[in-house]
This record gives sequence, C-alpha cells and structure tokens, in this order.
Amino acid sequence: MSDEPAFAELVAATNYSFLRGASHPSDMVSEAIALKMAGIGIADRNTVAGVVRAYIALRNAREKAAAEKLPEIPFELVVGARLVFADGTPDIVAYPATRYGWGRLTRLLTLGNLRAQKGDCILHFSDLLEYTEDLLLIVMAQESDGALLYQLRNAAPGRVWLGATMPRQGSDRRRLARLMRLGQASGVPLIATNDALYATPAQRPLHDIVTCIREGTTITQAGRKLAGNAERHLKAPTEMARLFRDCPQAVAETKVLLDRISFRLHHLNYEYPHEPVPKGWKPQRWLQHIVTKAARKRYGTDLPDKVRKLLREEFDLIRNHQYAYYFLTVYDLVRFARDQKPPILCQGRGSAANSIVCFLLGVTSVDPVEHNLLFSRFVSEERKEPPDIDIDFEHERREEVMQHIYHRYGRHRAGIAATVIHYRPRSAVREVGKVLGLSEDITARLGSTVWGSFSSDMEEKRYTEAGLDPANPAIARLKDLVGQILKFPRHLSQHVGGFVLTQDRLDETVPIHNGAMKDRTFIEWDKDDIDALKLMKVDVLALGMLTCIRKAFDLMRDHGLGDNDLEISLSSKDKAVYEML
Amino acid sequence: MLRHRSSRSDARDDAPFALVEKIRGAMRLAALDPRAVALGLAPGLPLADARARIPELVVYDADPAADLRWLERIADLCDRYTPMVALDPSDGITLDITGCAHLFGGEAGLVADLESRMHRWMQGTTGHLRHAFADTPEGAQALARFQTVPAASEDAALRRLPIAALRLEPETETALRRAGLRTIGDLATRPSAPIAARFGEEATDTLARVLGQADSRIVPRRALPALFFERRFAEPIARTEDALTVIGDLGEEAALVLEERRKGGRRFTARLYRSDGQIRDLSVESGLPLRDPALLVKLFSERVEALADPIDPGFGFDMIRLAVPSLEPMMPTQLQLEGGAVTQEAMAALVDRLSTRLGRDRIHRFAPRDTHIPEQGVLTLPAVDAPTPAVWEKPQTGEPPLRPLHLFDPPQKIEVMAEVPDGPPHRFRWRRTLHDVTRFEGPERIAAEWWKRPEGTGITRDYYRVEDARGHRFWIFRHGLYNSEKREPGWYVHGLFA
Repeated sequence: MSDEPAFAELVAATNYSFLRGASHPSDMVSEAIALKMAGIGIADRNTVAGVVRAYIALRNAREKAAAEKLPEIPFELVVGARLVFADGTPDIVAYPATRYGWGRLTRLLTLGNLRAQKGDCILHFSDLLEYTEDLLLIVMAQESDGALLYQLRNAAPGRVWLGATMPRQGSDRRRLARLMRLGQASGVPLIATNDALYATPAQRPLHDIVTCIREGTTITQAGRKLAGNAERHLKAPTEMARLFRDCPQAVAETKVLLDRISFRLHHLNYEYPHEPVPKGWKPQRWLQHIVTKAARKRYGTDLPDKVRKLLREEFDLIRNHQYAYYFLTVYDLVRFARDQKPPILCQGRGSAANSIVCFLLGVTSVDPVEHNLLFSRFVSEERKEPPDIDIDFEHERREEVMQHIYHRYGRHRAGIAATVIHYRPRSAVREVGKVLGLSEDITARLGSTVWGSFSSDMEEKRYTEAGLDPANPAIARLKDLVGQILKFPRHLSQHVGGFVLTQDRLDETVPIHNGAMKDRTFIEWDKDDIDALKLMKVDVLALGMLTCIRKAFDLMRDHGLGDNDLEISLSSKDKAVYEML
Repeated sequence: MLRHRSSRSDARDDAPFALVEKIRGAMRLAALDPRAVALGLAPGLPLADARARIPELVVYDADPAADLRWLERIADLCDRYTPMVALDPSDGITLDITGCAHLFGGEAGLVADLESRMHRWMQGTTGHLRHAFADTPEGAQALARFQTVPAASEDAALRRLPIAALRLEPETETALRRAGLRTIGDLATRPSAPIAARFGEEATDTLARVLGQADSRIVPRRALPALFFERRFAEPIARTEDALTVIGDLGEEAALVLEERRKGGRRFTARLYRSDGQIRDLSVESGLPLRDPALLVKLFSERVEALADPIDPGFGFDMIRLAVPSLEPMMPTQLQLEGGAVTQEAMAALVDRLSTRLGRDRIHRFAPRDTHIPEQGVLTLPAVDAPTPAVWEKPQTGEPPLRPLHLFDPPQKIEVMAEVPDGPPHRFRWRRTLHDVTRFEGPERIAAEWWKRPEGTGITRDYYRVEDARGHRFWIFRHGLYNSEKREPGWYVHGLFA
C-alpha cells in the first residue's frame, strides 16, 4: 500500500448534472472504491441533488463489508457542487469544510435558483465572494485566468486550488507546465483531477448520447460537439500518478484537500420545529398529556386495561425513537384544519396512523381498540425508518393548509420535497432513437408497446412485439443504450405534498428551487434522500373523496339530518347499504 | 374541370366505356363516358352488376397516377395565366386569377383562350371542360362541379347547390341529408353553433369558405419564385437562339431589380412555353450569388449546348418566363482602381461555367467536415454547392500546429520502440530508415466512432507529434490501447509536418 500514491477524485459529476454526467452517483462511488481511491468528491452542476444517493451507496457498501466481516473501507465521500457561472467565470468546484460551510453553499445555490425560472440556476462570481466562508474551492481555470485566481485567493486565503487535468488532447504537458507556473506565481497549489463525467470508459457511448440529447442533434451530425475520446472516467491512483509525472505534488494535494474537509452528510442534524410544543413543556410530556386527556374524555376517567396497555406500549416506542415531535407536528396541522370555520375534513393514513395515539389526537377516526390494529407492528425497532403518516385534506381546500404551514413556520423553514423525474421506457426510446437517427415511426412503434407511463423497464420482448429484430445491430445498440439510460434522472419536480419543516433555516440544509406553480418553492432532495438523512416530512395530500363527503354532510344538514363529521361510528352491518352495493 | 379518356385502338368507338377501380373489396365503376351514363350506369356500381346490365361495356382499369400526370400537364398549360395554380385531384384545377384576368380580355377571354388551347393541344381526344368563377377556391370548385342552371348571382347559385358540393366526409354528408338539409342554402340559414356541435366544425368551416364568408387561399403547387419576369409574343418565336436572346433581355430586367434590392440569385429557371402547350424548363446554378445578365446568358447557352435532348421549338414559343426562386444578399461591388478582376468572383464564374457545361457532379471542391477522425475531416462536394457550415479549427497564434500538412492515405506502418503501456515512441523505422525521436508531444487520444461499428466500440488511436534527430517532424500513432484493446498495438505514420 505504501508505494501506492494516495489520490482522490475531487471533480466527479454524476447524472444529476443532467445530460452531462453519464453514471449514477452510486456507480461513481463503487467504482472509486474499487479503484482504491482515498475518496471521491461528488460535485454536480449547481446542485447537490445527487449527493445523498452517493452517501447511501457508501453507507450500503460499508454495511455490506461489515456484514461480511471485511475490513472497513478506507474511503471518504465528500460532497459539494460545481458552480457554473452565468457570467463566463470558469467553473469552480466548492466543498464545504464544515457544517457551517455547507449552509453557505446551500444558501449560495438557493440564491441562484430563486433568481431563475424552474430548473435553472443563475450565479455570478460576485455571489460566490459573499459566501466563501468555510468553502474549499477548486478553480477549473485556463492559463489565462490569472486575475481571477488572485482575486479568489485574496477572498479565500489558503482555501483555493487550481484544478489541473490531463485529458490526452495532445498538448497536455505544455498546458500543465503553464498551470504550474501560474500556480507558483499566485501561490495557489495545483490539484490533480480528471474532471470525471462517468465511472468507466464503457460509458462513452452513453455520454455521447446524452450530449446529443442536450445539443438536440443526432450522433452522426454531432461531430466535434462530442468528446474525442473516452478519457473522462475515474482513473486509478497509479494511473493518475503516471499522468501527473511532471507534478506529483498535484496528486498528493488531493489527500490534503480531502483531509481538510470535516463535514459529512450525516452531520446534518435535524431539529424539529418548536412550534407544536408550548413553552415549558418537553415534547414527550406534552404528547402524553394531551393524549391522556383525550383518552379520559373518550373512555372515562378510569381507562380500560386494554387502552392503558396500548398507550403505555406506544408511549415507550415514541420515547425510544423520539417521535413525539413528529406526532405533535401532525396533530398541529390536523387541529388547524378542524378549527377552521367551516372545518376542513382531514384523515390520516399510513403505518403510524393506526396507533391509538393518532386516534386520540383526532388524526384518524378508526379506533384501534375496536379494530385490533397494532401500531408497533408497523413502526418496529428493526425498521429504522421514521413513522409515516399521510394526511388527506379536502382537495378544494388543501391550499389553505399549505399556506398555513408557510405562515406558521415561515418560507425559510418549510419546503416541499422534490420528486426526481426519471427516464421512462417511452421517453428513453424516443430520445435515444432520435439521437441514433432511427425514424420516428420506429420509436413510436416501440414506445406504443409500453403500457402506461409507470413501467420502468424495457424488456427484450417489447422489441419483438414491435416487429423489430433484437439481433439487428442498430436495434441491439438502441436496446443497450435505452437499458443504460433508464432510471437516469431527467429533471427535478416538486412532490405532490410532502413538506419538510425545520427549526433553523431550511436553505442552510438543502438548496431551494422555484416551483412551476406560483408561490411554491421546493427543496432539491426527494423522499428517499430525506429519509436517509432523517429529516422529517409530513405529507399534506389532497383527496377528492373528502370534498365529496363534505358536500354530502352539507346536504344532510340542509335536509335536517343533523350535523356529522368523520368521527361518527358507523355500523358496518347496515343491511340497506349492502343491498345498495 | 375535365374528363378524358385515352384513345385505345382496340376500343370500339361507339361502345359505352368505363374505368373501374377496386373499392371496398369489389371492382366498381370509377368513371364513365356519356354513352354509359345515358344507359343508366353510375360511378360506384359494382362491375358485375354493370356487366349484367350492359354486356357490351368496354372496361379499363383506372390509373390514378396517369390521371394525376395528365392533370399536372394541364396545370402547366394554365401556368401562363397565373403562377397561383393548384391541383384539385382527381379532376380539377384551381387558378387564382386575382388581378390578372384583364391581361387575357377578362374572365370570359381567359376561358376562351384556355378552351382554344386545350382544343388545339388535345387533338383527337375528346375533352369536356367545365369552369366557374367564385370568390373562394372552394366556391369555385363547388360551382364548377355541381352547378346545373344559371343563377342571378354567385351567392344565389352557391346556395342552390346540393350538400354534396361541400365535399364533406361521407358520414357527415349522409347525416346532414338525413336531417333534411338538402342544399347549401338550407344549411346556411340555420344557426351555425348547433350545426357545428352536431355535425362537426368541419361542416360549418367548409360552408363559410364556400360562401366566401371565411378567407381561403389556394396553395400553389409550386413554391412561388421570389422574382419572375416574362415576355409574351404575338408571333411565336421558333429559334432557340432567339429564345436565348429573350432570356438575356429578361436577365437584364432581373439585374435591375436585383441590384436595387442588393440581392443576387444562385439559381435561375427559364421556362419556355410552346404554343401547343408543351413546356420546357431550363435551370442554371452558380456558386456565388449572381445578377450579371451577360454571365447568365453564357450559363444558359452552356446549358442548352450540354442538353442530351435538344430543345424542339415545334411551332415556336409564345411565352418565356425567367424565375429566380430565392434571393440572397449581394452587395454592389467596388471595382478596383488599377483594374484587374475580383479574383474570387472570377473563380466562381469559372466554376459555374464548368459545372454547367460538364455537369454539377464533375467539378468538386474540398469542404471541412465536423469530426474528430483526422482522415475524415475533409470531403469533396460539387463545387457549385453552398459552403458547409463546418470549419476547420484555426491553430492558435504562437501554438505549433496540431495537424500535419500532409496526410498519408492509408497511414504507413512503422516499427517502433516505445514505452508500455502508453508511453511515447523512442525510435522508429519508416521506409527502411531508422529515426531517433528527440522530441515529442502527445498523446492526443482519438477514439473511434462507435456508432459506425456494428459491434464493439472500435480501436482508439494515440497520436504523437515527434521530431527526429535531423529535425523532421512526423505525426505517428499507436493503433489500439495496450492490453485493453490490443495485445500488441501497431504503429503508423499518418502525416508529415513541414
């Protein structure tokens, strides 16, 4: 090991650099581990949307190694973003060294996002100068960018590196020599990188395809818009050392930078918002207080044994997992809806909703004592997932609830989760087919064999169904590339109603984007990312049937059939109803 | 509108005659001559029934393609009246004569002229021509096909036409008839919204267009040229040379207009209208925008001389039209004070003349191509074609050129001593001479174009620019990546620097 140079690829893009990167974050991480790198830095274009995937991949790899009793993987994942500027400044890769730096980075990205239409990010060099604290910066500069380098070095002394690549373009060594001179003159150390866009050289065709999709051209017409070779993959430390023979310190510098980064994604400590708990109360105490009060009201001062037992079990579970805040936040929303004039009908569902706590809080109307439902069956000790309660509201009045959330927690602390829109078989076939120069009728025919938009694979039989021979080289190529691009992210969109609420500024945890709808903002992580980082998400959903029930209740009141709400106890043995069914 | 039949020697002249077509699985009558109509046959009747009724019926297969060709030729004939000519298959032609009827003595004069030309042109065949004028193409088409009795005004005539004159989908037409709406007038008096709701927007839209309530234009069958100039002759001119002179005259007219607009043309088309209705097109192209009439005549005479089948003036041409299909910017040129030709233009003129005389595919020039593969960076194109948008990369000032002046095709194999796996060459043997590499730069790695290979991704090349002990510079490459693509990659010299 000792004679192997330590190297970490610190400028690695993933397919969250939409239509530029050609590998999943997880593939980048596992390839880097396989190459025995000291670490990898994931930096996508003006986004951190892919970093959690990389984080999950490393965590899974570590768990797998531990399960197989293998030695721990000596590998570090650092996360940041490649800042791409709108004013012609060369790209700068930024890594937060600390938790504070992460907040600076996400705020910087939020600034750029909110300035632009959905899906874009407009940054200027002057913005970066405002947010450089605790950020380590790698400038992907040309020889001619000396002035910029001086300016940045003065703004962030000791935290600037000059990224050098050896792309095998003929004059690499001459270019490296010039960058070395520039680095020496400005006192900025050189750092070796391959500016990687994909994990292995095998992804070159796929990278060419996404380049063509981005440029709106076909593979035969793209010409020099495509890369001339397949060099921008992750390279082993020994190979990097060989490439940077003239400047070994640039390779060594990667370890220096890596060691200066103390921030890891799991440092994002989540804090629940304080609003649902009154001053002077501990959340667990407050939850028990109001639940017990409700129980007494319902079952009488002397609680039945069954209820008492169930309550004790659930309280223990909630305390052990520290879920009290979560239940209280949900309760808070439900109470708001119930207190409206007229009240908004709402109904909780999901695994945790089957608890007696939820029932007594009025989140659900199903009495678990009566129906023998087991809350602990769903939130068990083994499953370390946060409890899941979806709340449905009348679809015509959900906006009131959402605006209430923004109002109560503030826009800087509440945001809707993202949904990553992936390539589906139909879109993949259409776009890849277009790039490969297949006629529209072939891709349309193939696309029409896929039913619905939710199937996510493209089986071989689809090709034969469409009357195409999978052995034909053009079709085989299409099939191969479609298989690779499937499940690639295409763009971010907002989730239907998953709210993330925080105690501190949300934009210091994750960048915020403008939604397509007016007055909606969303964060750039989706529900899996949020789960992995243990952030809290409350699903505020809209259900048309609740509106329907509301209208039925209104009609009943108008016709003198009395006031009703969802808490009525319906007899399930009404004969007339069964006959109607 | 015109109905025709081709005269066949085996047809008895007095026998009823029909064309048949396979419609919905059965042979049915598609078109009939007057005798057959008089015997009570109608289009759409199955052939078997028709045969049973009229055993002596003479039958031929309908040939829609031939009908269309015939229609095109008649449309060519009509081109002399207006360039706005549209086909209305299978048996109609629509002319937009807005503002040009007076040239032919008004609408009646135009029809008379057309009828006499048709008559002359179709010697021997019987033709039956129906015509109508209206404010919109749809109106004229409906009147021409369905008007039976004259009416006081165009509108009254249209309103009297049967619903069929709207030429809607058969289902819609049947539905309208079932609703008791028999004439266009019936439909027009009803409020349009319920009609649209029940019978579709198409019904009301078509109605509005037929009645001239909605604007409607014909789509001419040929794109209108940007500019055209024409001359008519009371006495047809019979000599090709005279026709060329006229083209020259028209060219002068064109040059004046082009100069005024600061434009030039890269294509010119002369159309010669023979008095018997035949038409001959001549086209010339030039590499640069052009407007000099003398050059134009030269190009046209080259063209005429190079024709495989010479122009046959027949009874002479009675009209010649010169068209410039599209204009391109062309600034007036400053003549040099000391004289001498503007070389680029002189060159272009030569290319134009040679291409016109020898054929456009015989004169080529090099054009850049947008690719990483060195030997494919250039292609040959017909010299008169417009330049391609791709450009070669210009070497940066102060930088040594990355590409050699001379490329070998194919690259020449050499023996090389080099570092493995991807180090530079130290020494190589080319044409039995040993060269010691003193300086090198590279590699420049160029991967194969995977999409052109049916299997695999192809072989990658590593190019080095090397200099030997005597100062000669070579462009050599290793063919294949060591071990991953080839076990023993070969080396080649691909080019020489100065």
